[in-house]
Order: sequence, then C-alpha cells, then structure tokens
Amino acid sequence: MNASVAQAFREATERHAAEYAPWLDRHPSRAALASAALPEPRTEAWRHTNPNRWYGAARPVPRRRLDAQGTAGVRIIPFEDADGENRRLINGHLNATLDRARHPLANVNDILLDRGVLLRMHRGATPAEVTLGDMGGGYERVLVLVEAGASCVLTERPAAPRQRMVEIVLAPDATLRHLRLQPPSDAAEHHLVSVQVDAGATYALTQCGGGAPFRRSDVHIEATGAGADITVRSAYRLGGGQHLDTQLTVCHAAPAATSRQFVRGAVGAAARAVFDGRIHIAPEGQQAAATLTAKHLLLAPDAAAYAKPELMIYANDVKCAHGATMGELDDDALFYLHSRGVGGEQARQLLVAGFLKEALGEGIDDAVLAVLGMAP
Amino acid sequence: MLHIEGLHATAGGEPVLRGVDLVVRRGEVHAVMGPNGSGKSTLTNVLAGRPGYEVTAGGVSLDGEDLLALTPEDRARRGVFMAFQYPVEIPGVSNMEFLKAALDSRNAALGRPALSAVEFLKLARAAAERLGLGPEFGKRGVNEGFSGGEKKRNEILQMLLLEPRLALLDETDSGLDIDSLRTVAAGVNAFAGADNAIVLVTHYARLLEHIVPDRVHVLVAGRIAQSGDKSFALEIEAKGYGWLTAPA
Repeated sequence: MNASVAQAFREATERHAAEYAPWLDRHPSRAALASAALPEPRTEAWRHTNPNRWYGAARPVPRRRLDAQGTAGVRIIPFEDADGENRRLINGHLNATLDRARHPLANVNDILLDRGVLLRMHRGATPAEVTLGDMGGGYERVLVLVEAGASCVLTERPAAPRQRMVEIVLAPDATLRHLRLQPPSDAAEHHLVSVQVDAGATYALTQCGGGAPFRRSDVHIEATGAGADITVRSAYRLGGGQHLDTQLTVCHAAPAATSRQFVRGAVGAAARAVFDGRIHIAPEGQQAAATLTAKHLLLAPDAAAYAKPELMIYANDVKCAHGATMGELDDDALFYLHSRGVGGEQARQLLVAGFLKEALGEGIDDAVLAVLGMAP
Repeated sequence: MLHIEGLHATAGGEPVLRGVDLVVRRGEVHAVMGPNGSGKSTLTNVLAGRPGYEVTAGGVSLDGEDLLALTPEDRARRGVFMAFQYPVEIPGVSNMEFLKAALDSRNAALGRPALSAVEFLKLARAAAERLGLGPEFGKRGVNEGFSGGEKKRNEILQMLLLEPRLALLDETDSGLDIDSLRTVAAGVNAFAGADNAIVLVTHYARLLEHIVPDRVHVLVAGRIAQSGDKSFALEIEAKGYGWLTAPA
C-alpha cells in the first residue's frame, strides 16, 4: 500500500513533459530515476518522516515571479534567460554535485523543476551579496558558482516551495556566508542543499527558522580541496504539531579540512524534530578536525525529538568529536529568573532564546533573530 | 517588616526547619549562623519560594502580607531578593538582557516607568564597575564561566539595581578571597538603609567584621538556639557551635 504512493509519484514524474527550460539535459536524471529506489516509509533515512506525506501533498501552482536582489559582483541569471555559456554551465552541474543513490529525490528536481536561477559570484572590492526570496516555483533550483578568491553572502528566504534544491560550488580560496531563513509554513516542503568547498575555501551556513506540517531538509557539504573550512549553525523552534527533519552530512574528502556543526532545536507541543548529523572522513581526509554538537529542548510533554550524531571515519590521522543532548528547561535557571521577578512565559521564552542563540555564535543578524521569533 | 512564626519546612521531603521564630525590622541587619545542616539555606530558600522546599507549619509575613501565598516571582516583585549561594549559569542569555528583564519587572511592580535602553545601560554599567565586573560583563551569558567571586559580585550587583525591601544573602561570603569579600561587603553596606532589611546567612564570623549585624542568631537542628548582638558572633567564632543545643 505504502510503496504504491512512491510508485505513483515516480510514474507521474516520469510522464512529466518538461516545458520549463527545455534545453536542460534531463536524460541522465530520467535514467537515474528509473533505477533509483525512491524513499518509502520504511527507508532507514526516512524512518521518522513519512515521505508519502510529501508525495501526496498538493502541488503548488508556479507563480512565475523571481524575488532576487544582488549587489555588484553577482550575476543573477534565471534559467529561462540563460545564454549558451550559462546553459553549458548549468547542464554541466546538473546531476553532478550530489550522490543520487543517497538522494534520489534530486532526480525528481532535475525533471520537474519549474523555476531555476544561476548565481555567479565574482571577486570584488566588497563582498557580493544576494538575497533570494520567493522564486515563484514549485520545484525550484538554485545553482551558485563562487569564483576563486571571491567573498560573498547569500541570504535565502524560501517561500514554501514544494522542493528547493541548492547547489553551491566554491572555487579555491572563495568564502561564502550562507543564511537560510525559513519561517514556519503550512506546506509540505523538501529542501536539498549540496555544497562543494575547494582548497582553502570557507563556507559558513546558518540555517534557522520554524517548522511546517512537513519539512525535510537534506544538507550535504563536502570538503573537496585541502584546507577547506566548514561551519554549520542551525537553530529551530517548532510548535503546534510541526515536523522538521534535518539530515546533515559534512564530508571530508580532502586533507587538512576543518568543520564544526552547532545544532539547537526547541520543540513545542505535539511537534517533532528529527536530526541526523554525520561527520564522514573519507580516506583522503587525513588531518581532519571535525566537531558536531546537537542539543534539543523538549518544551511540552508531547514534544518529540530524535537525534542521531554519527561519525564515519576512514582515515587514521583525524580529530573528531560529536555529542547530542536532550532535555527540558532547567528548573534551577527558571527559579533564578523567577526569583528576580521574571515569571511565567517571559522566563521560559528568555531561556529558549538563550538556548537557541548558543548555536548561532557571535554577531547574530537581526533577520536570524526575527525568523526565530526573538527580539533583536 | 518580616515576621516568621513557628516555621516548619522540609527540603526534598526531609524535615529541616522545626519551628523558627524571627522578627526583622526595617533598617536592621540580621546574621543567621549555624553548623552544617542546621537549616540556614533552607530558611532563605523557603522565604524566596524555591521549589523543593515545602512549608509544613507556621507562617511568614512581609509588612503584613502573607509571603507564603505568593509565587517566587511575585515575592521578588514585592521586594524580596535572595542572593544565591550557588548562582545559576544561563548560557545564551546575556547579563544585560537578564538584568533589564528583572529591573523592568521590579519597576512595574513599584509603579515606576520602565527605563529606556540608554538609561538602563548607564545604570548597569556604573553598578558593574563599582563591583569590579569588567566591561565585557554585560555581553557575557548570565554567570557563564564566572569565577566564584564574580558570581557573588553579580548577585550583589543585582541587589543594588533591584533595591529590594528584604535582602536574603545565602552564604554570600563563601568562596571569596579577601579582596572580593571587601568589595561584596562594601556593596552590602552601601545598600543597607533605613527602608530595607538584610538577613545574611553565614558559616563564619569573618563576614561580620565587614558587615556589622544588629542581631546574630544561631540555628541548631532547625530552630534558633540562641540570639545576641554582634559580640555573640565573636563568641561563636571562639567557642564553635558545639555548646549550643536546640531549644526544647
């Protein structure tokens, strides 16, 4: 019964005739989809998130509006406007940055995408900045190419797409600060983020916000060049029956890379957080230094969190550490606030905000605080 | 101001206070001393309303109001302040955020207008400087990574800002070096005035060389065994607690 939902979805995807950017080379993805096993309720990586809820959700109607603004140093190229050179770049990266066996739904995005944008970020006197809001699509695709030595900021505010796939390629010595701001929505969303970080490049992702009836976020970041540096900060606050499943992998596929992941989730009434975080050190990843901490706060008796930090180490000269905690608000801290006249909900909110801020480090953007429902 | 009558209380389900009677008048400083386990900390925690401490008999009033009927936050808003023996660390919540929330609450209870951010910062920075808490103090998480001395000075800072009617100092001298002890004592002495009262709990008479009490009480087995003036503290320092027994 369950398998038939995935099967029906696969067949509908296969039958789909692409109208958007017909020059996209979708053949490899169609072939890959035909042989791929789509996630099913019993699939290990989906055990706490029923993919049938996503397959069966209503498809949004593409709105044909792209909300993107950039400074000097960035070119924003909607796929439909891409010329020969950019079409070649896009086709060259399609189906290239992500392991399709692990992420079969990437094939679905290749085939069904109805809105795409290429961001080419160049080296300049000041950091190039792009803000990418509503892309106006159902199946959205973002390809970000950061030139060698460039220093850039990308802020994303997805407006409840059915699926948004973001691929980022950082050339050597490039720097990208990537903010993903995801306010709560009432849609069924799937997000796929795939990042390649070349030698000496720095990638810092801050992903935060709320939940949705169904929100699944697969993030795969790979150090592909020596000395790459990766930071992931993720904070989320779920309430009212929301569901957020984050699958985060940082892979060290080149030597002397460094990575750190900080994850904090506050889970409210009838909400469910799923977090699988993996540090993967490939045989080529010698002299890796990698850390991961994931902490969850359960704010109601019917709140649930499932956290699984994992280390997969195939090199012998590495420094790795990981840990996860789960708990309720600290009674002593609550009483300390009460004893200073700060009571009830205000005390709880202060503690929750403090807990989440722990993941975000110094100099937190006001936009980040706002999406987490905190005052600047 | 503070009337404690026949107070019995349990801590973690175990009987600790077995009939405490104490009257503290406005403008007075009372020291409560006693051996380990005599109930000193239980007394301050019961007055502040800490969960886990249960009053089983007796009563407490503050200026005629039944203190035990109030939540801890309402006690604080009415002007009860407890300086913790072990101040709590709250990472992620900055000292300034915390102090502003506390002060706003106290001012609202007093019917005073809330301070603007600028007024508040000025006030808080001046207080921090006076207690020797560095310029980074405000940005740091509440008591996060503070030394023992810094934590205790932070308690006194909060007391100075919140201007309570009744300050309960629970072993505020424990873990302090002599310089910190002097700073803390100077803060307490600056605070003590005709409109407030202080109950300070301590193991040692050392603190009382710096903060001179009007009355000294010794708790033994959950009751006040004996009371006296400031010279009583010196007697205890010389003779210890062994000769004092709980009243029948």
